[in-house]
Amino acid sequence: MNKMILGRYLPGDTWLHRLDPRTKISISFYFIVIIFFANNVLSYALLLAFTFGVIFSSGINQKFFFNGVRPLFLLILITVFFQLFLTRGGHIYWSFGPFALSQYGIRSSIYVFLRFMMIILMSTLLMLTTAPLMIADAIESLLSPLKRIHFPIDQIALMISLALRFVPTLMDETITIMNAQRARGVDFSDGGLIKRIKAMIPVLIPLFVNTFSRAGDLGTAMESRGYSGEGERTRYRKLTWARRDNIAWAVMLLLTGLLFILRN
Amino acid sequence: MEKVSTKTAEVTKIALVAALYVAVTMVIVPFGYGAIQLRLSEGFNHLVAFNKRYIIALTIGCALANLVSPLGIVDIVFGTLGTLVMTTISYFLTKRVKSVPVKLTITTVVCTLMTWSVALELNIVTKVPFWPTYGTVALGELLSMALGAILVYLLQKRIDFTK
Repeated sequence: MNKMILGRYLPGDTWLHRLDPRTKISISFYFIVIIFFANNVLSYALLLAFTFGVIFSSGINQKFFFNGVRPLFLLILITVFFQLFLTRGGHIYWSFGPFALSQYGIRSSIYVFLRFMMIILMSTLLMLTTAPLMIADAIESLLSPLKRIHFPIDQIALMISLALRFVPTLMDETITIMNAQRARGVDFSDGGLIKRIKAMIPVLIPLFVNTFSRAGDLGTAMESRGYSGEGERTRYRKLTWARRDNIAWAVMLLLTGLLFILRN
Repeated sequence: MEKVSTKTAEVTKIALVAALYVAVTMVIVPFGYGAIQLRLSEGFNHLVAFNKRYIIALTIGCALANLVSPLGIVDIVFGTLGTLVMTTISYFLTKRVKSVPVKLTITTVVCTLMTWSVALELNIVTKVPFWPTYGTVALGELLSMALGAILVYLLQKRIDFTK
Protein backbone atom coordinates (compact mmCIF):
# COMPACT_ATOMS: atom_id res chain seq x y z
CA MET A 1 0.00 0.00 0.00
CA ASN A 2 2.89 2.32 0.68
CA LYS A 3 3.64 2.84 -2.98
CA MET A 4 1.08 5.63 -3.10
CA ILE A 5 2.22 7.69 -0.13
CA LEU A 6 0.79 11.18 -0.30
CA GLY A 7 3.31 13.42 -1.96
CA ARG A 8 5.70 10.51 -2.49
CA TYR A 9 8.24 12.25 -0.28
CA LEU A 10 11.74 10.74 -0.10
CA PRO A 11 13.58 12.01 2.98
CA GLY A 12 17.10 13.16 2.23
CA ASP A 13 19.64 15.92 2.63
CA THR A 14 20.39 17.14 -0.90
CA TRP A 15 20.50 20.79 -1.90
CA LEU A 16 17.01 20.39 -3.29
CA HIS A 17 15.74 19.12 0.05
CA ARG A 18 17.33 22.09 1.79
CA LEU A 19 15.78 24.74 -0.45
CA ASP A 20 12.92 26.61 1.15
CA PRO A 21 9.62 24.96 0.10
CA ARG A 22 8.31 28.38 -0.92
CA THR A 23 11.22 28.70 -3.34
CA LYS A 24 10.56 25.24 -4.74
CA ILE A 25 6.85 25.78 -5.23
CA SER A 26 7.21 29.22 -6.79
CA ILE A 27 10.11 28.10 -8.99
CA SER A 28 8.33 25.01 -10.28
CA PHE A 29 5.30 27.11 -11.13
CA TYR A 30 7.50 29.71 -12.79
CA PHE A 31 9.32 27.02 -14.75
CA ILE A 32 6.04 25.59 -16.04
CA VAL A 33 5.04 29.06 -17.22
CA ILE A 34 8.31 29.69 -19.07
CA ILE A 35 8.13 26.27 -20.75
CA PHE A 36 5.32 27.75 -22.82
CA PHE A 37 7.68 30.33 -24.27
CA ALA A 38 9.92 27.71 -25.82
CA ASN A 39 9.14 27.54 -29.55
CA ASN A 40 12.11 26.07 -31.40
CA VAL A 41 14.68 23.29 -31.18
CA LEU A 42 17.27 25.38 -29.34
CA SER A 43 14.92 26.69 -26.68
CA TYR A 44 13.54 23.21 -26.01
CA ALA A 45 17.09 21.85 -25.82
CA LEU A 46 17.98 24.51 -23.26
CA LEU A 47 14.99 23.66 -21.04
CA LEU A 48 15.62 19.92 -21.37
CA ALA A 49 19.26 20.38 -20.42
CA PHE A 50 18.15 22.42 -17.42
CA THR A 51 15.58 19.81 -16.35
CA PHE A 52 18.03 16.92 -16.55
CA GLY A 53 20.77 19.05 -15.00
CA VAL A 54 18.57 19.61 -11.95
CA ILE A 55 17.60 15.93 -11.76
CA PHE A 56 21.17 14.66 -11.97
CA SER A 57 22.71 17.26 -9.70
CA SER A 58 19.99 16.84 -7.08
CA GLY A 59 21.57 13.56 -5.92
CA ILE A 60 18.23 11.80 -5.52
CA ASN A 61 18.04 8.11 -6.31
CA GLN A 62 17.80 8.16 -10.15
CA LYS A 63 16.40 4.66 -10.46
CA PHE A 64 13.67 5.33 -7.94
CA PHE A 65 12.88 8.61 -9.65
CA PHE A 66 12.53 7.29 -13.19
CA ASN A 67 10.62 4.20 -12.05
CA GLY A 68 8.22 6.45 -10.21
CA VAL A 69 7.64 8.64 -13.26
CA ARG A 70 7.14 5.78 -15.71
CA PRO A 71 3.42 5.11 -15.10
CA LEU A 72 2.72 8.75 -15.96
CA PHE A 73 4.06 8.31 -19.44
CA LEU A 74 0.84 6.55 -20.43
CA LEU A 75 -0.89 9.86 -19.78
CA ILE A 76 1.64 11.64 -21.98
CA LEU A 77 1.16 9.10 -24.74
CA ILE A 78 -2.62 9.60 -24.83
CA THR A 79 -2.03 13.33 -25.15
CA VAL A 80 0.59 12.95 -27.84
CA PHE A 81 -1.69 10.59 -29.73
CA PHE A 82 -4.41 13.26 -29.84
CA GLN A 83 -1.92 15.84 -30.94
CA LEU A 84 -0.31 13.66 -33.57
CA PHE A 85 -3.46 12.63 -35.40
CA LEU A 86 -5.75 15.61 -34.94
CA THR A 87 -3.40 18.40 -35.98
CA ARG A 88 -3.26 19.29 -39.67
CA GLY A 89 -0.90 21.47 -41.61
CA GLY A 90 2.13 21.30 -43.82
CA HIS A 91 2.69 18.14 -45.80
CA ILE A 92 0.08 15.45 -45.11
CA TYR A 93 1.50 11.92 -45.12
CA TRP A 94 -1.63 9.95 -44.33
CA SER A 95 -5.26 10.68 -43.57
CA PHE A 96 -8.40 8.82 -42.62
CA GLY A 97 -11.64 10.62 -41.64
CA PRO A 98 -10.80 13.21 -38.99
CA PHE A 99 -7.36 11.68 -38.44
CA ALA A 100 -4.28 12.72 -40.32
CA LEU A 101 -0.56 12.38 -40.02
CA SER A 102 0.90 15.71 -41.04
CA GLN A 103 4.16 17.60 -40.86
CA TYR A 104 2.83 20.08 -38.30
CA GLY A 105 1.17 17.27 -36.37
CA ILE A 106 4.47 15.43 -35.95
CA ARG A 107 6.35 18.55 -34.98
CA SER A 108 3.78 19.80 -32.48
CA SER A 109 3.36 16.35 -30.94
CA ILE A 110 7.11 16.17 -30.30
CA TYR A 111 6.98 19.60 -28.64
CA VAL A 112 3.93 18.66 -26.58
CA PHE A 113 5.64 15.44 -25.53
CA LEU A 114 8.74 17.32 -24.38
CA ARG A 115 6.75 20.02 -22.62
CA PHE A 116 4.54 17.54 -20.81
CA MET A 117 7.54 15.42 -19.87
CA MET A 118 9.36 18.40 -18.38
CA ILE A 119 6.29 19.42 -16.38
CA ILE A 120 5.94 15.91 -14.99
CA LEU A 121 9.63 15.51 -14.22
CA MET A 122 9.81 18.85 -12.45
CA SER A 123 6.67 18.39 -10.37
CA THR A 124 7.73 14.88 -9.41
CA LEU A 125 11.07 16.28 -8.31
CA LEU A 126 9.28 18.88 -6.19
CA MET A 127 7.08 16.26 -4.54
CA LEU A 128 9.95 13.82 -3.94
CA THR A 129 12.10 16.38 -2.16
CA THR A 130 9.46 18.29 -0.20
CA ALA A 131 7.50 16.80 2.70
CA PRO A 132 3.72 17.29 2.37
CA LEU A 133 3.65 19.25 5.61
CA MET A 134 6.31 21.59 4.23
CA ILE A 135 4.21 22.10 1.12
CA ALA A 136 1.23 22.93 3.34
CA ASP A 137 3.38 25.38 5.34
CA ALA A 138 4.67 26.97 2.18
CA ILE A 139 1.18 27.37 0.71
CA GLU A 140 0.07 28.93 3.98
CA SER A 141 3.00 31.32 3.89
CA LEU A 142 2.44 32.23 0.23
CA LEU A 143 -1.24 32.89 0.94
CA SER A 144 -0.56 34.98 4.05
CA PRO A 145 -1.20 38.31 2.25
CA LEU A 146 -4.85 37.20 2.21
CA LYS A 147 -4.92 37.82 5.96
CA ARG A 148 -5.41 41.50 5.17
CA ILE A 149 -8.83 40.75 3.74
CA HIS A 150 -9.61 38.70 6.90
CA PHE A 151 -9.25 35.36 5.19
CA PRO A 152 -8.79 32.86 8.07
CA ILE A 153 -5.51 31.48 6.81
CA ASP A 154 -4.45 30.11 10.26
CA GLN A 155 -7.58 28.02 10.49
CA ILE A 156 -7.22 26.82 6.93
CA ALA A 157 -3.63 25.81 7.71
CA LEU A 158 -4.80 23.84 10.73
CA MET A 159 -7.42 22.08 8.59
CA ILE A 160 -4.79 21.21 6.00
CA SER A 161 -2.44 19.78 8.62
CA LEU A 162 -5.25 17.75 10.18
CA ALA A 163 -6.38 16.50 6.79
CA LEU A 164 -2.82 15.45 5.87
CA ARG A 165 -2.57 13.64 9.19
CA PHE A 166 -5.77 11.70 8.55
CA VAL A 167 -5.29 10.77 4.89
CA PRO A 168 -3.21 7.63 5.63
CA THR A 169 -5.61 6.63 8.42
CA LEU A 170 -8.64 6.93 6.14
CA MET A 171 -6.84 5.16 3.31
CA ASP A 172 -6.18 2.22 5.63
CA GLU A 173 -9.78 2.33 6.74
CA THR A 174 -11.01 2.30 3.13
CA ILE A 175 -8.91 -0.77 2.43
CA THR A 176 -10.10 -2.49 5.61
CA ILE A 177 -13.74 -1.88 4.69
CA MET A 178 -13.15 -3.07 1.12
CA ASN A 179 -11.59 -6.27 2.48
CA ALA A 180 -14.47 -6.72 4.90
CA GLN A 181 -16.94 -6.41 2.01
CA ARG A 182 -14.86 -8.77 -0.13
CA ALA A 183 -15.07 -11.31 2.67
CA ARG A 184 -18.85 -10.97 2.40
CA GLY A 185 -18.71 -11.65 -1.32
CA VAL A 186 -18.53 -8.23 -3.01
CA ASP A 187 -16.40 -8.37 -6.13
CA PHE A 188 -14.80 -5.01 -6.93
CA SER A 189 -12.97 -6.06 -10.06
CA ASP A 190 -15.84 -7.70 -11.90
CA GLY A 191 -18.35 -6.34 -14.40
CA GLY A 192 -18.62 -3.10 -16.34
CA LEU A 193 -17.95 0.42 -15.18
CA ILE A 194 -21.45 0.98 -13.78
CA LYS A 195 -21.42 -2.28 -11.85
CA ARG A 196 -18.03 -1.48 -10.37
CA ILE A 197 -19.15 1.97 -9.33
CA LYS A 198 -22.26 0.50 -7.70
CA ALA A 199 -20.07 -1.92 -5.77
CA MET A 200 -18.51 1.10 -4.05
CA ILE A 201 -21.72 2.08 -2.21
CA PRO A 202 -21.32 -0.53 0.57
CA VAL A 203 -17.76 0.76 1.03
CA LEU A 204 -18.50 4.46 1.04
CA ILE A 205 -21.44 4.36 3.47
CA PRO A 206 -19.55 2.90 6.45
CA LEU A 207 -16.56 5.03 5.52
CA PHE A 208 -18.64 8.19 5.70
CA VAL A 209 -20.30 7.28 8.96
CA ASN A 210 -16.92 6.46 10.52
CA THR A 211 -15.38 9.67 9.23
CA PHE A 212 -18.10 11.81 10.77
CA SER A 213 -17.88 10.07 14.12
CA ARG A 214 -14.10 10.43 13.97
CA ALA A 215 -14.51 14.16 13.38
CA GLY A 216 -16.61 14.36 16.55
CA ASP A 217 -14.02 12.41 18.57
CA LEU A 218 -11.22 14.55 17.23
CA GLY A 219 -13.07 17.71 18.25
CA THR A 220 -13.48 16.37 21.79
CA ALA A 221 -9.81 15.37 21.92
CA MET A 222 -8.68 18.80 20.73
CA GLU A 223 -10.86 20.72 23.17
CA SER A 224 -9.85 18.55 26.12
CA ARG A 225 -6.25 19.51 25.31
CA GLY A 226 -7.16 23.16 25.44
CA TYR A 227 -7.65 24.01 21.78
CA SER A 228 -9.72 27.05 21.05
CA GLY A 229 -9.98 28.80 17.73
CA GLU A 230 -9.10 32.21 19.12
CA GLY A 231 -5.72 33.83 19.61
CA GLU A 232 -2.48 33.99 17.75
CA ARG A 233 -0.88 30.57 17.28
CA THR A 234 2.83 29.86 17.36
CA ARG A 235 4.40 27.21 15.19
CA TYR A 236 6.83 24.34 15.60
CA ARG A 237 8.33 24.44 12.11
CA LYS A 238 9.56 27.78 10.84
CA LEU A 239 10.44 28.51 7.24
CA THR A 240 13.66 30.44 6.66
CA TRP A 241 14.70 32.08 3.43
CA ALA A 242 18.44 31.51 2.90
CA ARG A 243 21.13 32.55 0.43
CA ARG A 244 20.62 29.39 -1.60
CA ASP A 245 17.05 30.49 -2.28
CA ASN A 246 18.34 33.72 -3.76
CA ILE A 247 20.83 31.76 -5.85
CA ALA A 248 18.07 29.46 -7.10
CA TRP A 249 16.01 32.44 -8.23
CA ALA A 250 19.06 34.04 -9.85
CA VAL A 251 19.57 30.83 -11.85
CA MET A 252 15.95 30.92 -12.93
CA LEU A 253 16.24 34.50 -14.15
CA LEU A 254 19.39 33.60 -16.05
CA LEU A 255 17.54 30.69 -17.64
CA THR A 256 14.69 32.99 -18.63
CA GLY A 257 17.16 35.40 -20.25
CA LEU A 258 18.79 32.61 -22.24
CA LEU A 259 15.40 31.26 -23.25
CA PHE A 260 14.34 34.60 -24.67
CA ILE A 261 17.61 34.91 -26.60
CA LEU A 262 17.18 31.43 -28.11
CA ARG A 263 13.49 31.51 -29.00
CA ASN A 264 12.41 33.06 -32.25
CA MET B 1 -20.21 14.86 21.64
CA GLU B 2 -22.69 17.70 22.01
CA LYS B 3 -20.29 19.50 24.34
CA VAL B 4 -17.76 20.24 21.61
CA SER B 5 -18.04 23.86 20.58
CA THR B 6 -19.35 24.38 17.09
CA LYS B 7 -16.16 26.08 16.01
CA THR B 8 -13.90 23.12 16.80
CA ALA B 9 -16.43 20.71 15.31
CA GLU B 10 -16.42 22.85 12.19
CA VAL B 11 -12.62 22.56 11.88
CA THR B 12 -12.52 18.80 12.43
CA LYS B 13 -15.41 18.08 10.07
CA ILE B 14 -13.82 20.12 7.31
CA ALA B 15 -10.43 18.48 7.87
CA LEU B 16 -11.83 14.96 7.87
CA VAL B 17 -14.05 15.38 4.83
CA ALA B 18 -11.00 16.79 3.01
CA ALA B 19 -8.94 13.79 4.13
CA LEU B 20 -11.70 11.43 3.03
CA TYR B 21 -11.77 13.03 -0.41
CA VAL B 22 -8.02 12.46 -0.76
CA ALA B 23 -8.16 8.90 0.58
CA VAL B 24 -11.01 7.91 -1.73
CA THR B 25 -9.35 9.58 -4.74
CA MET B 26 -6.18 7.63 -4.14
CA VAL B 27 -7.48 4.25 -3.01
CA ILE B 28 -10.60 3.55 -5.00
CA VAL B 29 -10.06 4.46 -8.61
CA PRO B 30 -6.56 4.43 -10.04
CA PHE B 31 -7.21 7.10 -12.66
CA GLY B 32 -8.36 10.26 -10.95
CA TYR B 33 -6.12 12.52 -13.06
CA GLY B 34 -5.76 13.52 -16.71
CA ALA B 35 -8.01 13.73 -19.77
CA ILE B 36 -9.92 10.51 -19.10
CA GLN B 37 -10.61 10.63 -15.40
CA LEU B 38 -13.08 9.20 -12.96
CA ARG B 39 -12.90 10.46 -9.42
CA LEU B 40 -15.59 8.92 -7.27
CA SER B 41 -14.65 11.35 -4.51
CA GLU B 42 -16.15 14.13 -6.67
CA GLY B 43 -19.50 12.72 -5.58
CA PHE B 44 -18.83 14.33 -2.20
CA ASN B 45 -19.53 17.67 -3.90
CA HIS B 46 -23.17 17.04 -2.99
CA LEU B 47 -22.36 17.85 0.62
CA VAL B 48 -22.22 21.57 -0.20
CA ALA B 49 -25.96 21.46 -0.82
CA PHE B 50 -26.36 20.97 2.92
CA ASN B 51 -23.76 23.23 4.50
CA LYS B 52 -21.34 25.81 3.15
CA ARG B 53 -18.48 24.50 5.28
CA TYR B 54 -18.05 21.65 2.80
CA ILE B 55 -17.00 24.18 0.16
CA ILE B 56 -13.79 24.62 2.15
CA ALA B 57 -13.54 20.89 2.86
CA LEU B 58 -13.74 19.93 -0.81
CA THR B 59 -11.43 22.70 -1.93
CA ILE B 60 -8.75 21.59 0.54
CA GLY B 61 -9.37 17.94 -0.36
CA CYS B 62 -8.98 18.67 -4.04
CA ALA B 63 -5.76 20.65 -3.47
CA LEU B 64 -4.26 17.82 -1.42
CA ALA B 65 -5.35 15.11 -3.85
CA ASN B 66 -3.74 17.13 -6.64
CA LEU B 67 -0.41 17.15 -4.78
CA VAL B 68 0.28 13.82 -6.45
CA SER B 69 -1.20 14.80 -9.79
CA PRO B 70 1.18 14.34 -12.69
CA LEU B 71 0.54 17.95 -13.67
CA GLY B 72 1.68 18.99 -10.21
CA ILE B 73 1.43 22.62 -9.30
CA VAL B 74 -0.80 23.51 -12.28
CA ASP B 75 -3.43 21.07 -11.10
CA ILE B 76 -3.07 22.24 -7.51
CA VAL B 77 -3.84 25.82 -8.52
CA PHE B 78 -6.41 25.46 -11.33
CA GLY B 79 -8.08 22.22 -10.26
CA THR B 80 -8.55 23.64 -6.80
CA LEU B 81 -9.95 26.94 -8.07
CA GLY B 82 -12.31 24.95 -10.30
CA THR B 83 -13.63 23.01 -7.31
CA LEU B 84 -13.97 26.19 -5.28
CA VAL B 85 -16.06 27.82 -7.99
CA MET B 86 -18.24 24.80 -8.79
CA THR B 87 -19.04 24.07 -5.14
CA THR B 88 -19.76 27.72 -4.41
CA ILE B 89 -22.19 27.94 -7.34
CA SER B 90 -23.85 24.69 -6.21
CA TYR B 91 -24.17 26.03 -2.68
CA PHE B 92 -25.91 29.22 -3.76
CA LEU B 93 -28.21 27.48 -6.22
CA THR B 94 -29.34 24.87 -3.70
CA LYS B 95 -29.54 27.19 -0.70
CA ARG B 96 -33.28 27.83 -0.91
CA VAL B 97 -34.27 24.42 -2.25
CA LYS B 98 -36.04 22.29 0.35
CA SER B 99 -36.35 18.94 -1.40
CA VAL B 100 -33.25 16.77 -1.09
CA PRO B 101 -33.59 15.03 -4.49
CA VAL B 102 -33.86 18.42 -6.22
CA LYS B 103 -30.79 19.68 -4.36
CA LEU B 104 -28.83 16.63 -5.46
CA THR B 105 -29.96 17.02 -9.06
CA ILE B 106 -28.86 20.67 -9.13
CA THR B 107 -25.38 19.88 -7.78
CA THR B 108 -25.00 17.03 -10.26
CA VAL B 109 -25.83 19.31 -13.19
CA VAL B 110 -23.71 22.23 -11.98
CA CYS B 111 -20.64 20.12 -11.27
CA THR B 112 -20.89 18.22 -14.54
CA LEU B 113 -21.15 21.44 -16.55
CA MET B 114 -18.41 23.15 -14.56
CA THR B 115 -15.78 20.58 -15.51
CA TRP B 116 -14.96 22.88 -18.44
CA SER B 117 -12.32 24.40 -16.16
CA VAL B 118 -10.53 21.05 -15.92
CA ALA B 119 -10.86 20.53 -19.68
CA LEU B 120 -9.52 24.04 -20.35
CA GLU B 121 -6.56 23.46 -18.04
CA LEU B 122 -5.72 20.18 -19.77
CA ASN B 123 -6.25 21.84 -23.13
CA ILE B 124 -3.79 24.63 -22.34
CA VAL B 125 -1.15 22.55 -20.62
CA THR B 126 -1.20 19.34 -22.62
CA LYS B 127 -2.81 20.58 -25.83
CA VAL B 128 -5.47 17.89 -25.88
CA PRO B 129 -8.44 19.16 -27.92
CA PHE B 130 -10.94 21.01 -25.73
CA TRP B 131 -14.32 19.52 -26.66
CA PRO B 132 -13.48 15.78 -26.56
CA THR B 133 -11.65 16.35 -23.27
CA TYR B 134 -14.61 18.27 -21.87
CA GLY B 135 -16.78 15.33 -22.93
CA THR B 136 -14.72 12.66 -21.21
CA VAL B 137 -14.06 14.69 -18.06
CA ALA B 138 -17.74 15.68 -17.79
CA LEU B 139 -18.83 12.07 -18.29
CA GLY B 140 -16.52 10.93 -15.50
CA GLU B 141 -17.88 13.68 -13.28
CA LEU B 142 -21.47 12.77 -14.12
CA LEU B 143 -20.91 9.13 -13.13
CA SER B 144 -19.22 10.17 -9.88
CA MET B 145 -21.95 12.69 -9.10
CA ALA B 146 -24.66 10.12 -9.81
CA LEU B 147 -23.08 7.69 -7.36
CA GLY B 148 -22.55 10.56 -4.92
CA ALA B 149 -26.23 11.48 -5.17
CA ILE B 150 -27.34 7.97 -4.20
CA LEU B 151 -24.77 7.88 -1.43
CA VAL B 152 -25.58 11.27 0.06
CA TYR B 153 -29.32 10.60 -0.24
CA LEU B 154 -28.96 7.41 1.80
CA LEU B 155 -26.58 9.01 4.29
CA GLN B 156 -28.57 12.19 4.95
CA LYS B 157 -31.29 10.05 6.49
CA ARG B 158 -28.84 9.08 9.22
CA ILE B 159 -26.36 11.96 9.44
CA ASP B 160 -27.55 15.55 9.58
CA PHE B 161 -25.11 17.23 7.21
CA THR B 162 -26.65 20.64 7.79
CA LYS B 163 -25.35 20.70 11.38
